[in-house]
Amino acid sequence: MIGVIYKREILDHLKSAKFLIGFGLTLAIAVAATIINTQDYGRRLQDYRAAQRDLERNKFEVQIFRPPEVLSVLVQGKDRSLGNTASVNYLNIPDRLTGYMSEQSTPRPKSLSGFGSVDFAFLVRVIFSLLVIFLAYDTVAEEKQSGTLMLVLANALPRSSLLVGKAAAGLTVVLGSFAAAAAVAVLIMMVHPAVDLSGADAARILSLVAASALYLTVFYMLSLLVSTVVKRPAIALMVLLQLWIFLVVVYPNLGVSIAENFYKLPTNREMAEKKVAAFASYGDELKKVQAAHFGGDRSTSNGMRYLELQSLRSRLWNDVDRELSLRLSGQLERARWISILSPAALFNRVVERYARTDIEEYDRFLASVERYWKTKYMDLQVLFYKDLPAYRKAATPPFDHPAEGTSEAWAAAAPQIVVLALLALIFFAAASTAFLRKDVR
Amino acid sequence: MRTIVFREIKDHIQSLQFVVLLLFSVVLFAANGIVFARKFQAENAAYSAAAAQFAPNTQHLFLARQPNPILFLAEGGDLGRPTSYYMMAKGYFSASAPRPRDYKLPDIPKLDWSFIVKTIFSLYVVLLGYAAVCGEKEQGTLRLVLSNPVGRVRFLAAKYAAILATALIPLAVGCIISLGILGVSLPQILTWGLASRVLALLALGVAYLSFFAFLSLLVSSVLRRSSLALLCLLAAWVLFAVLIPDTSGILAEKFAKVQSDYDAAKSIGPMIEKEVWAKIGALQPRIDKGELKTEEAIKAEADKAFEEGQEKVRFFEKSYEDSLAQRAALARSLARISPVALFQYAAEDLAGSGAHREEAFREDLRAYSRQFDAYVLKKNGKLVGQSNWSFSTTVKLAGKDVEIRSPRAEPYRGDMSDFPRLVERAALLGGGLKNAFGDISGLLLWNIVMAFLAFAVFLRADVR
Repeated sequence: MIGVIYKREILDHLKSAKFLIGFGLTLAIAVAATIINTQDYGRRLQDYRAAQRDLERNKFEVQIFRPPEVLSVLVQGKDRSLGNTASVNYLNIPDRLTGYMSEQSTPRPKSLSGFGSVDFAFLVRVIFSLLVIFLAYDTVAEEKQSGTLMLVLANALPRSSLLVGKAAAGLTVVLGSFAAAAAVAVLIMMVHPAVDLSGADAARILSLVAASALYLTVFYMLSLLVSTVVKRPAIALMVLLQLWIFLVVVYPNLGVSIAENFYKLPTNREMAEKKVAAFASYGDELKKVQAAHFGGDRSTSNGMRYLELQSLRSRLWNDVDRELSLRLSGQLERARWISILSPAALFNRVVERYARTDIEEYDRFLASVERYWKTKYMDLQVLFYKDLPAYRKAATPPFDHPAEGTSEAWAAAAPQIVVLALLALIFFAAASTAFLRKDVR
Repeated sequence: MRTIVFREIKDHIQSLQFVVLLLFSVVLFAANGIVFARKFQAENAAYSAAAAQFAPNTQHLFLARQPNPILFLAEGGDLGRPTSYYMMAKGYFSASAPRPRDYKLPDIPKLDWSFIVKTIFSLYVVLLGYAAVCGEKEQGTLRLVLSNPVGRVRFLAAKYAAILATALIPLAVGCIISLGILGVSLPQILTWGLASRVLALLALGVAYLSFFAFLSLLVSSVLRRSSLALLCLLAAWVLFAVLIPDTSGILAEKFAKVQSDYDAAKSIGPMIEKEVWAKIGALQPRIDKGELKTEEAIKAEADKAFEEGQEKVRFFEKSYEDSLAQRAALARSLARISPVALFQYAAEDLAGSGAHREEAFREDLRAYSRQFDAYVLKKNGKLVGQSNWSFSTTVKLAGKDVEIRSPRAEPYRGDMSDFPRLVERAALLGGGLKNAFGDISGLLLWNIVMAFLAFAVFLRADVR
């Protein structure tokens, strides 16, 4: 019996105007957004490769470039906005990346205020979740209003079978249309010459698709619950749209806004004072050594001391910068905790993690820069004072940033996946209970 | 007609949409008041401290930017712009601290009035208006209403007026709450000037929401089923509020043919090499040939070579910045297809923020830079252009080492009581309205087109 209901429901959905309009729209946006973002990725990759190729190997000031993430085509996250260049010298351990022109962010945000970016994650988070609501709001309420629910249940059909059949059919249509849009987007990516997907990327894309499916399932189950509880489909739709506006537009933004405005961060002046205080006891010695160094004292001992003191200052300043970075992470964590029950915020966090376009990836890259500075780069500088001929022969050490493994990304995103799965289960359980107890007259 | 309007307003007020909109309005406008009052207090304290510490200096200056107390109306990206600049002679500026500092947070739109109206209220106007015609048709009441002596034009006009009036109630409540909170925290901003800006912005908001009201009536008249009408309206809302403005930036990058920032960076390296270091390197052969015979002549030639090189690099940087500004203008022009972008840019002009304000500030900086240069020239007798690169090397003149280095601006030790100060022109409402004229006209044009279509379709609609 479930099979019959399942088939009939699927046919009803596929024939409906709302499905055809919604699916056509989402497909069109998926195609347009992926084409635009793939071309943009191609341009950024070209710049990165040219930067690597044209790079002058300067042993004193080493330029490190961050490649664009291939999956930023689907989930832009922070990939485009936080810079791509770190300039490493013994006077400074970079705490932020800059653009190629040394500006603190790429020029694009200057052009448009108050607007964001359109990518596949946006399509799922905003448009598909709306489509799900439109496909599911009348699942039970419509049958109840038209009186067919009573007639259907007058047959030898358990209520649970009816609900499961309807839910399975609705989910098949929703997830099927989503899978079709996702497949088209990935195909567009794959045919672009700039995009080269590895096995790990494929695993991440599949994870992205699975997380998106789970997110849409949460909205489907929520819609099913409201459709079961509310008597009239028009009211069910209104309730769901209010919930959607709250969960997708208002709640996640309020969380960030609260964290932004009610989380104390040290001021620029306090940071500067801390840096001065951290190195204050070595200041006089550095002046003395520096004066001797530039005054012609080329002895190894003075040179080494000069380098040690400069290096120490860089490390101490870096400690202050790291403290701010940790505070900023704490601020972000607070925003995330406030928005813990927003499926949209959870979804965003998961897909950005899978796509390696989240702030954690940015921090990992900066940690690699710091590691490079403390090991390979400083070893080379020491050689300058200890063994100049060897320094001249030595090549600039290559920078290495190990990619995060897919399993690590899965582990990191597991809590959010669990919360999303729990939300879906709770909504389905509540819908089932409400339907079993429902007065179908 | 009045009867229909009042009945419609009563129906709307009893609806779930209205209650939730009122709730959102209260919460969001209260948050707006609290957030922007705190931000302005913090920025103003930092500005006052910087202004108090301002010390006249002919070598370089730190210039703090005056915070705008009415950003709560439309932030316009101003909170992401630098608050202070480091300035040297010949128009050298660099932002002294990167912003935003809290870069780890997700990028979200600021909770200003323009965001609340642009996003939340427009969505609710759609939710209030989608069933205006087709809902009555579905219930069969449309035929009954029109069987009375009520003209179709009057009927639709009443529906339109009721939708707008209903949306304006929570908007007015929200605005009063926001202004109340701001007035308590920052009483100095409650002026007649602010009142006129608030009224202008509200009028703009009405024009903007009116577009969505007409759009809702149009779609509701065309389609028979209200759920389908709502789906189509939400699709249109996504198109206008999200897709067009959000893709215009990236499209402008494609069409504007501006060098990528990597290509620009790549051009500057060889330019410095060719224009500056090559000229400095050419000094020794000229000394050997006997063209430069004295230490003073060598140093003067080094200064000249360095300055000429810098001039070319400065010109390149200025051209690059101009082309970026043109690209940003193209992005804004592309986005203007959408009434949402028209509203956003007009709101920024009325609030004295956004692109026009930024350009005005840059003009102020350039004007101040010219005043500063003239002052330094008067006091020191010469003007030395500096940048963030410098050189120091030695050349040989008759077997003797002569040290040459990049010229440095000199400090003036005398009386500097007449030192010029940066004066930022106030963003006047008249100027804002002038800048916003095109956007407001566009918004009104959209209204006229939508109103015409809505009435034309409804007058010909089959009401059975």
